Amino acid sequence: MSEAVYGAKCTACGAVSYPRHLVCPKCRGEAFQPAEIGGEGVVLTYTDVYALAIDYDVRYLRLAIVELDGGLRVTGQLLDEEPKLGKRVRTTVGVVRETAGKAIYGLQFVPA
Amino acid sequence: MRPVYIVGAGMTRFGRSELPLVDLAGTASLAALRHASLGKVPVDGVVVANMGGSRINRQTALASALVDRLALYPAAAEAVENGPASGASAVKVGFQAVASGMADVVLVVGVEMMRAVDGLEGTDFVASLSHPEVEYIYGVTLPSLAGLFARLYMSRFGVERRHLAMVAIKNHDHAMKNPYAHIHQPITMEGILTSPEAVVNNPLVADPLCLFDCCPVSDGSAAVILASKDIAERLSGPRVRIAGMGQATDTHAVHEREDPTDLRAVRLASEKAFAMADAKPADVHVAELHDAFTILEIAESEAAGFFKRGEAHKAIERGETRLGGRLPVNPSGGLKARGHPVGATGVAQLVELTWQLRGEATDRQVEKAKVAYACNFGGFGNNVIATVLRKEER
Repeated sequence: MSEAVYGAKCTACGAVSYPRHLVCPKCRGEAFQPAEIGGEGVVLTYTDVYALAIDYDVRYLRLAIVELDGGLRVTGQLLDEEPKLGKRVRTTVGVVRETAGKAIYGLQFVPA
Repeated sequence: MRPVYIVGAGMTRFGRSELPLVDLAGTASLAALRHASLGKVPVDGVVVANMGGSRINRQTALASALVDRLALYPAAAEAVENGPASGASAVKVGFQAVASGMADVVLVVGVEMMRAVDGLEGTDFVASLSHPEVEYIYGVTLPSLAGLFARLYMSRFGVERRHLAMVAIKNHDHAMKNPYAHIHQPITMEGILTSPEAVVNNPLVADPLCLFDCCPVSDGSAAVILASKDIAERLSGPRVRIAGMGQATDTHAVHEREDPTDLRAVRLASEKAFAMADAKPADVHVAELHDAFTILEIAESEAAGFFKRGEAHKAIERGETRLGGRLPVNPSGGLKARGHPVGATGVAQLVELTWQLRGEATDRQVEKAKVAYACNFGGFGNNVIATVLRKEER
């Protein structure tokens, strides 16, 4: 299960947040259920970043904000050789960072 | 609330420092204290702004250390860490102390020594302000947030890379007139954008942003002396009042904002600051904006109310934000060329504006400046402080 990405679904109003909050930004509810994050959407914006954080042994990272169908937005890594604003993509889950030998899983986007 | 005045301002030259962190802060503090000429009036409060000392310089409790270095005991002292908005936050803490009557004279000093570590560690240190669960884990750094923002903003409002370059060229030009600036290097459109060599001179950092769209990594310190009206009236020199301060926050993760191109916290903080100052954007004669990336100068100038949305780049094209233009923006050179020692920046903006309002800004003086505005942009716009300064005639 560590290979899925979860947000939080407010049990009062049903809004899904990614990241989770302790209080729902929509209705101020305080009870949540985990909600798996993923599906298809469109690239809202992307960048190739050469100013990298520690832990990356690559020349650059291609990052994107994707608006999923339904409206939820997520940040993740874009695995697409021909990125374009508005292009349809779908989410996968993969290793997005390795810190001190520990793999961290997160969202990646591939052409839909 | 009692009125609060800036009665002294000083800074170190930004760039690279060999001094210990506390001596760097002490140097700016002494410059501001000398500028204020307090005589026998005691400093009863000290506020230090710093973001990374505990991580990159391995020193904590900086305010206590500074009081000791300056032998200012028994002055009250505290440090403020509020990301890249630490500087203006510290000024706000000092402002509140004087406004409430808890203190009469407060030294506020911002300091950062980012070059104590290599570039990778420095970039990672600043990236640690991003959301740990939904941004940082993906390799998000501040340049990448700026790149994501820039692409969306540019596509929506027709801003081109040449407009970003115009901001960089202007701020480098301004910095040539500022002896305290980190970067003294004039740049041209050919050199950074249109010539064949430009791709070598100006490589990509976070597409579409290039090297000359990003602030340098700097050491430095800046300080102001805040005082009550009673004290300010006893001192010589023009009187600069902190007429308004406003602060607002926004979502930690940039993707969670309803419109990620809307710098809502800048807008709300500015509205509050202008309301408190009983002023409007059109009254401002000179502004210091938080241009950690060129695109931010454009977007902030709109969110603060100086230009309509999507119009700032046209004003830049017309030269309106240059020295001599309708509204000079970043006469100091801004973060782009004065440099960006993170914790010092918010204080340095007010140092520049104090000098401007006192008529002490030498070659970069904005004529007849009476109202000034600063935007200190924390996180990637999730914690913003706006300040309005006003010169009061004696």
